[in-house]
Amino acid sequence: MGSRRSRLELVFDVLLAIQNKGGKIKPTHLMYKSNLSHKLLNSYLEELIEKELVVIEEEPVKKKKRPSKIVRITEKGLGFLAEFRRMREFTDAFGL
Amino acid sequence: MFRLFLTPGWFNGYDLLFESIALVVAMLIAVYSWRVYSLNKDNKFAYFSLAFILVSLSLIFKMFTQGVLYFFPVRETVAQVLRPAVGNGLEYADLFYRAGFFIQMASMLGAWLLIFLISQKTRERLKKYFELSQIALFVYLVLLISVISNFKYVVFYLTSAVLLGLIVLNYYKNYLNTGKNNAFLVMFSFLLILFGNIFLIFVYLYNPLYVIGEVLILCGFLLLLYTYRKIVKR
Repeated sequence: MGSRRSRLELVFDVLLAIQNKGGKIKPTHLMYKSNLSHKLLNSYLEELIEKELVVIEEEPVKKKKRPSKIVRITEKGLGFLAEFRRMREFTDAFGL
Repeated sequence: MFRLFLTPGWFNGYDLLFESIALVVAMLIAVYSWRVYSLNKDNKFAYFSLAFILVSLSLIFKMFTQGVLYFFPVRETVAQVLRPAVGNGLEYADLFYRAGFFIQMASMLGAWLLIFLISQKTRERLKKYFELSQIALFVYLVLLISVISNFKYVVFYLTSAVLLGLIVLNYYKNYLNTGKNNAFLVMFSFLLILFGNIFLIFVYLYNPLYVIGEVLILCGFLLLLYTYRKIVKR
């Protein structure tokens, strides 16, 4: 069994899932991709929005009157992903 | 004049340059590790940062003590001028060098010990009481060795080599686990520093070995710098 993910790793996984989907993703898809419960994902999203790592946007959908919500990663979010990768590389290289 | 061992005269000053390069590398790693600690609040990064701060401290004291020794003619002239005023006080000048070498040795051995403990793959280490008591014992031994090394310098390089050998083994295991190129470079850096220390053990037999030892240690730190740059420039 794998070890529990730290809070920072969870944030990384959420942002990575958005980046892998081209920078924007539907909240439901994000929930599956990041392997988090609905409640937990919402609490993380609130934190990510507050820290300006992601933004919630509305996107018009064909055949539907109401636009759907999407989560978009910001430049700051992309910067965090790059920093986290460097951090992980440092950790692996020095056996920490 | 108090000296631990004789070094080739033509090399005086070059070693100070080498130490200053190593100092920059150690400080860069210490700062980056502290930055990672401030992000994830994981203690091991703070300890790793502390280890490289200790390496920096050791290098600073080595540069300072050796630097004063290299300018011996100047120091001796000043001593001759001051002798009438200071009198017997000058006889205690050796204490200055002994204190300098002691701090250099204690902080370097402390740094290698800390890196060895951090590179051990045990979960929750440094948190349990018995591991902290082990560290207290190691600290005592490091201080004891540093005092003895002031009289028999070989003890310092020998202890340093043993600790570095254990670090290299841990980093070799880390390389096997991760299979990453950077992990191999870190292991190889410490291997070079280890070989440098082994050469320094035998300086009493043939003093040009000091040059080879210092060059190998410099190569080790330069390789650490290369690896660090590779990681942070991604």
